[in-house]
Amino acid sequence: MGETITFWVLAVVSVSAALGLVFSRKAVYSALMLGAVMLSLAVLYAVQDAPFLAAVQIIVYTGAVMMLFLFVLMLVGVDSSDSLVETIRGQRLWAMIAGLGFAVLVALAVGNLVVAPPTGLAGATQGAGGNVPAIAELIFTRHVFAFEVASALLITAALAAMVLAHRERSRPKPTQKVLARARFLSDHPSPLPGPGTYARNNAVDMPALLPDGSISELSVNRVIARHEAEEGGLPEDPKLAEAIRQAVEEESK
Amino acid sequence: MNDIAAPTIEYGQLAPMLLVFGAAVLGVLVEAFAPRYLRRSIHIPLTLAALVGSFALVLVQVFVSGVPTSPAAMGAVAVDGPTLFLWGVIAALAFVSVLLINDEDNFVAQAAAVPGSADEEDAEIAGFSQTEVYPLVLFAVGGMLLFTASNDLLIMFVALEVMSLPLYLLCGLARRRRLLSQEAAVKYFLLGAFSSAFFLFGMAMVYGFAGSVGLSDINAALPNVGGQEPLLVLGTALLGVGLLFKIGAAPFQAWKPDVYQGAPTPITALMASGTLVAAFGALLRVFWVALGNFDWDWRPVMWGVAILTMVAGAILAITQTDIKRMLAYSSIAHAGFLLTGVIATGAAEQNRDALSGILFYLLVYGITTVGAFAIVTMVRDAGGEAGHLSRWAGLGKRSPMLAGVFAFFLLAFAGIPLTSGFFGKYAVFSAAVAGGVLPLVLVGVVSSAIAAFFYVRVIVLMFFSDPAADGPTVVGPSVGTASVVAVAAAATVVLGVFPEPMLDLADKAASALFVR
Repeated sequence: MGETITFWVLAVVSVSAALGLVFSRKAVYSALMLGAVMLSLAVLYAVQDAPFLAAVQIIVYTGAVMMLFLFVLMLVGVDSSDSLVETIRGQRLWAMIAGLGFAVLVALAVGNLVVAPPTGLAGATQGAGGNVPAIAELIFTRHVFAFEVASALLITAALAAMVLAHRERSRPKPTQKVLARARFLSDHPSPLPGPGTYARNNAVDMPALLPDGSISELSVNRVIARHEAEEGGLPEDPKLAEAIRQAVEEESK
Repeated sequence: MNDIAAPTIEYGQLAPMLLVFGAAVLGVLVEAFAPRYLRRSIHIPLTLAALVGSFALVLVQVFVSGVPTSPAAMGAVAVDGPTLFLWGVIAALAFVSVLLINDEDNFVAQAAAVPGSADEEDAEIAGFSQTEVYPLVLFAVGGMLLFTASNDLLIMFVALEVMSLPLYLLCGLARRRRLLSQEAAVKYFLLGAFSSAFFLFGMAMVYGFAGSVGLSDINAALPNVGGQEPLLVLGTALLGVGLLFKIGAAPFQAWKPDVYQGAPTPITALMASGTLVAAFGALLRVFWVALGNFDWDWRPVMWGVAILTMVAGAILAITQTDIKRMLAYSSIAHAGFLLTGVIATGAAEQNRDALSGILFYLLVYGITTVGAFAIVTMVRDAGGEAGHLSRWAGLGKRSPMLAGVFAFFLLAFAGIPLTSGFFGKYAVFSAAVAGGVLPLVLVGVVSSAIAAFFYVRVIVLMFFSDPAADGPTVVGPSVGTASVVAVAAAATVVLGVFPEPMLDLADKAASALFVR
């Protein structure tokens, strides 16, 4: 009875979390939804006489793999979102039709057949001397070779990550001296002018005024300028807004 | 607390595979410790020696210690006649592919440098090279060897991943047209991950049915377990999706042209030969050993897949304008021809014939494919290989030798008599006729005829049209490429004129069928 109740409660939770995972626009939400799905699965395993699997699910997947996902998302940038433009016209429709067709086929195949009631794991684990010893025996005898070969997989993965991400220097790293020299040879040996401070605004997104009253475009942070020009939020003063737009144009050149 | 008996692993039987894995690990250590200028000159002999050694160990096992009659490594790996034959084939194909890989700089100087960036140029000027390619190839080959030999679904899944993961990466390392290459790698990776997930899910279903992942245990459970058929039906379907994806059977063939086109051509050669051989080994094991007595249920679906694969491969190939895509579609059609042999099961005698036909076909198709791709690497434009078919016009007038050999390979693909392809097709189709799948053979013959049309079209294009003024140059082949082409051409001729010894060998390998 308890198992049935747990199942139906968790079924709702995990399926809705899985749907949220697919349909959420924000990557972090998707990752958290995935965490919810994994935790629900862990509880389901625990209820179905598989305590070891439940612990491993939480420790390895929810604990380690999920956190790795989150770290990667945060390193790559939470902000980045995929473009959802379809490159092949009508593919979503045809994919849906094909999916429905497959579902009907499976339903027809399965609907004709009879399912016997499940017997549960309790008997099997009792016979083998408990859950963990039984798993240990399988891992270290019958499936030992599979686990040994999995090491090849891990080495390959590490090597592949190295190949894709590791970049060796082909020219020497510039020293402090070289950098200083380059700066003095450029047009701006001194630091760029800071942002403007006004009576009503003193944020970093405001261009500064030079002593002669003209606006210094160099004082605008390029990243912020682009953000403001794209997302809206340019200052009300037309002269300041113009300076920001010009900074964006120069940036894009 | 019960005591666990220590597992026994028959290292002698597994030696050909363990040697390859060992050399791969050594290769990784070379990457870590050897200075850059030495790496290549260590990797090449190491890789080639490992593959030769693996082949030699297979021979030792066949002729000295005899073919084992029971599974090794606690029942996880089955080293039997078909396995040893396919191990030999894979080791030989990998050897010639490595000659091709080592030969020209087909690989990117630095994979982490953004395509077209100053970094990339610097890396090329500095003469960097990704020598990690060699250990990765060895890992892929080790995975192929294990995939054909796996005797339970769990090890088969691990082998599938060990085989595929290095290939996903290697696809993205082409030196020229890098964006196309990276796109191919991502496509292959995503679709391959999906197919692996299907395989895993099917494995879970079949385990739910049989209570074991061992192929022979599944076979034993077929008549004994009642009331769980939905699990078995679903599991069979999902396992089938995973395996048919790997051989590139329709409707799971979509990845093949894109990946073959984008990948560096030597890697394409390795995939088109070695992976196909390994995947057919695994497919046969699952559908003959584990699900052999369930054939009433999978046979109709397999019929459909085989027909669709042959027809789609042959017809879509006609519309291709890129030489590598054309070869990819031709490989799809060949997978369909091989599937007719997989369906032609029956009594033990019939199974033996079909199996021996498939083994022979895999050998001859693999070696001819590597030769054909070797020639593709030699026809160059300013921007790399001249892929477009129109660039191949009149090649026969400019370099008759090269075009002649290529035409010969194409005729072998088409199955013209006096080439090895003829006897391959003959062996599989005659076994299929004896197995009572005559309609499939008719479809096969018709699509062979369609396929012959576009092979001949390329030959006509090469010999009977005028060469373009700014046509591609044929680079003088290095020793490696020249020997690959020579070996492939020699094998195609010898197996086409005098196939008896090899057919006998395939018969012997198939004589005891698979161990259970």
